[in-house]
Amino acid sequence: MAVLKPLSGNPNAPQQYKQPSRKGKKAWRKNVDISEVQEGLEALNEQIIRGGVIAEKDSDELFTIDAHGDDEITKKLPKKLQKTLKSDEIIAQRSAIPAVSLRKRPGDSKTTDGLLPVKKQRKDYVTHRELVRIKKVADGHHEQTVEVVDAEYDPWAESEEKKPVPVPEEQLPFLPQPTKAKKPKTLEQQPISLAANGKSVPAVPKPKGGYSYNPTFNDYQERLIQESEKIIAAERKRIAELEAERAKLEAAARSAAEAEAAEARADLSEWEDDSEWEGFQSGGEELSVKAKRPRRKTPAERNRAKRRKDEERKAKHDAAMKRKQQQQERIKQIALEVAERERAIELAKQEMSDPSDEEVDEDNLQLRRRQLGKFKLPEKDLELVLPDELQDSLRLLKPEGNLLKDRYRSMLLRGKLEARRKIPFKKQAKTKVTEKWTYKDFTI
Amino acid sequence: MGKVKKKGQAGQARNYMTRTQAVKKLQLSLPDFRKLCIWKGIYPREPRNRKKVSKSATASTTFYYTKDIQFLLHEPLLQKFREQKVLEKKISRALGRGDVSDAARLERNAARPDKTGKPRYTLNHVIRERYPTFADALRDLDDCLSMLFLFANLPATTAVPAKMIARCERLCLEFEHYLIASHSLRKSFLSIKGIYYQANIQGEDVLWLVPYKFNQRVVGDVDFRIMGTFVEFYMTLLGFVNYRLYTSIGLKYPPRFDQLKDEGGAELGAFSLEGANLATTETKAITNGEQGPDPKVQAEVDKLVQQLRDEEAAAAGETNGKAEESAPETANGDADEPNDTIDKFEPAAPGGDVLPQPAYSSSDPSQLFAGLTVFLSRETPRQPLEFLLRAFGCKRIGWDEVLGAGAFTHDESDPRITHQIVDRPVVRAAVAEDGDGEDNQTAQKLAANRRYPGRIYVQPQWVWDSVNDEELKSPEQYVPGAQLPPHLSPFVKPTQGQYDPTLPLEEQQTEAEAIEAALEDEGEAGSDEEVENDMDVAEDDEDEDDEEFDGVSEEEEEEDEEEEEDEDEEEETTLERQRELEAELTGKAVKREKVDPKTKAKLEAKKVLERRKKQEAEELERAKGMLSKKKRKLFEQMQYSNSKKSAEDAKLRQKRRKLEKEKAAAS
Repeated sequence: MAVLKPLSGNPNAPQQYKQPSRKGKKAWRKNVDISEVQEGLEALNEQIIRGGVIAEKDSDELFTIDAHGDDEITKKLPKKLQKTLKSDEIIAQRSAIPAVSLRKRPGDSKTTDGLLPVKKQRKDYVTHRELVRIKKVADGHHEQTVEVVDAEYDPWAESEEKKPVPVPEEQLPFLPQPTKAKKPKTLEQQPISLAANGKSVPAVPKPKGGYSYNPTFNDYQERLIQESEKIIAAERKRIAELEAERAKLEAAARSAAEAEAAEARADLSEWEDDSEWEGFQSGGEELSVKAKRPRRKTPAERNRAKRRKDEERKAKHDAAMKRKQQQQERIKQIALEVAERERAIELAKQEMSDPSDEEVDEDNLQLRRRQLGKFKLPEKDLELVLPDELQDSLRLLKPEGNLLKDRYRSMLLRGKLEARRKIPFKKQAKTKVTEKWTYKDFTI
Repeated sequence: MGKVKKKGQAGQARNYMTRTQAVKKLQLSLPDFRKLCIWKGIYPREPRNRKKVSKSATASTTFYYTKDIQFLLHEPLLQKFREQKVLEKKISRALGRGDVSDAARLERNAARPDKTGKPRYTLNHVIRERYPTFADALRDLDDCLSMLFLFANLPATTAVPAKMIARCERLCLEFEHYLIASHSLRKSFLSIKGIYYQANIQGEDVLWLVPYKFNQRVVGDVDFRIMGTFVEFYMTLLGFVNYRLYTSIGLKYPPRFDQLKDEGGAELGAFSLEGANLATTETKAITNGEQGPDPKVQAEVDKLVQQLRDEEAAAAGETNGKAEESAPETANGDADEPNDTIDKFEPAAPGGDVLPQPAYSSSDPSQLFAGLTVFLSRETPRQPLEFLLRAFGCKRIGWDEVLGAGAFTHDESDPRITHQIVDRPVVRAAVAEDGDGEDNQTAQKLAANRRYPGRIYVQPQWVWDSVNDEELKSPEQYVPGAQLPPHLSPFVKPTQGQYDPTLPLEEQQTEAEAIEAALEDEGEAGSDEEVENDMDVAEDDEDEDDEEFDGVSEEEEEEDEEEEEDEDEEEETTLERQRELEAELTGKAVKREKVDPKTKAKLEAKKVLERRKKQEAEELERAKGMLSKKKRKLFEQMQYSNSKKSAEDAKLRQKRRKLEKEKAAAS
């Protein structure tokens, strides 16, 4: 059992001794610092000269008790001071009329003078709602940062009218003219769209017939099939992912079980370890075979390799020269061929390109692999009226999709922004709970 | 050896800058930086080689051009942002001390430039910088208009202040007024998302999307701070664009805005346009057509009608006292004229369309609805209808009181109304048993689903289809309760040879198809003896079952058919020869099957056509042999896709033919 002792002794932390070491010249008698003792002796001498050692004197000799006040002071100070305090004065006052009772009685409210008490409004009162708003402003959420006023001039017509105001030259001719910052060329470049083909996406894609509120059967069917295929594919993918996850977990569980079983088996057959005692040892080192080290090439071999390489190089060069020669001979023909090929490519392009291909198809736009920023482009809403909801009356139309999301997505798609995600809570710092060490400081 | 270059001192490493670096350089907070980038049109960039640009391993780093950021340093708005930062600090300090009133005072004063001495900040200078020419601004108007129309229709929340919404709405209405005044609206489309409009402004096509009223859910995953930033910029832009457009047609900007009317829900009617010139203080307000007629028109119109009109106009003028209208309507003075007299006509044909369609004669699509007086029932969407009708020349639009103020008339029984737009199913009451009941419109009982005689009832789609086709569609197809024709997108360009449901069949079918159809017709009309035709009919029946489900089987069938035909031909010739031989043997004249001469001619034509086709195919085959392998492959691919498409179109046409035939048989 531990012996508990009360806290005692010096409360300060333990310190090192002033003289850290007794080795070396510093510890010699002649080198010991005695200036402190010297100073003390000198002070004692001084005190003796002045009339004796203070420490040895009686307190009567050193101090007197002044029991009387100074008579002079009362003469010096004005007479006002002799007045009583204002507070005392006020407290001393007593009205002839008894004080109004602060207690509310039921009968009191029934008799009034018929006038409603005027409520004084506090001038600088800030409502709670206002306070919340101000707090938001302090956090940087301004309602409107710039002023939008009615346009009063035509910014595009200005270029002809506005002329640079000439600075009067006599005043400060030596000063350089203020130069305006030049617009960099990079500013003119269009944003990079997220389309895989790199083409710019129109801000408002032209709607196809399938988007009509009262579509033709074919358009509608085409869209319905397209959309449903998309959804089915997504669902398949999801299921496949789930399956893969499950398989992975299963495999992990199985291997864990196997490992466990193996361990258990190992535990069971303990005497297998004893085999070493009995002289059996499975061979470990004997099995390793020494790898054959590569032999150094002889100079003859080196020369042979060099010659072969040279020959190869020369043959290659000769072939290239020959080809070049041939091409030079039929340069006109090649030019023709190239022109032909280009024409063919052009033709193919024209023939193969659908009219729908020119305008970017919003429905099945291929996105490029690398997104802008941290987050992916949000999925498009399913903008499809289901067959049972399809009406040919405008009144009964149930609008589909969300334009707000659509606009936001379009901005992202055109590469004007990087995708963001709303983070409803700030990530809280993780706290770690520990026990304080002061629990050790107690006395019995 | 060349000069040694240090890594990261030149090239891509210097040209790009990460977002964090940019924010640090500009001494802004990240949201402010984002805002500034949106306003100044600085977009994230993609360096050719990320590794050369940054040392960081994260793939999600965003890069900007260093020069762009450098340019931002000169931006006067930067100062504004810094001032704001100072203000935020002051406010938060006051709040921290508990001086709420102090904080409120600071915040209040910051918004008042007369208190602080600091000028208001606008985005005016940015507009010119980003859109050096007006055409540039027009090109970006698609996005701007879609955004502003969307925000004009949003409910006010803390994220979207009511002030902003009101401003958006006003700008949008002003823009609509320009479109009405300049007749530059071209197309419109009712989609499931919203209503698309396309206008042609100074040669530039502008397309935008307007949401349906009261439909917008405000969702959480949209960053309203960013959207708000865009809206602020676009509001400034549209203000300037409106100014320019108004002045370009000699109008004053901003137009006069009547707060009282706006509160009554007048929307478009709350504005009155004024001429820019002070000398000619004519107002081009949206008038409901109740004004004295133009002198030019008067001259043209004959006296009797003029008298009638004057009386009417005077009556209308007394009741409402609207501003004068100076818009030239000379082109449609004639179109106007019949409408006023039409009300007095008795319906001539039973159930038919009583009125002559005035715009059939008019060539100007912008005056499509010029002569009409339209009444909107309360279930119809007023805003788009009013805008469309006005943009295409309609001056007198009335609507139910529920739909807001600013109507030509709220009285449904007004005799001047020529067209009424209804979107409710017909509740058929018992048909009156008088001889009078032959008239479709008067036949219905007036009490429940009131119908006024002498007026055309149509569904809203009629307006859109008329606008897109640039002619007044015949209202028979659009009567309430009728099966509406499909609403087609006007933005889809029909390609050559493609099936187009709007065109009549005769115009788009191929020669072969026409002959085939004619033959079939005759076959059905004629005797049932002809085996071939019978087979066809049988096949058709099968088709009916299959058609909607699998197109493949049908194509196969068609191929089979062709083969059969070839075989048939051969058979025919062999048969004929045999007959001739028989005749020779017996010594009689050759027996021939009796064939109608017309059918024969058609058959011959068919044969000729087939022969020609065969020849063409052979020629093509020969030409294909000349091509290189690569080209031939390409060509074959092309042919395959083309034939697939044309087969689909042919199928559609066939279907339609059948439907039409059925219809013809029924009637």
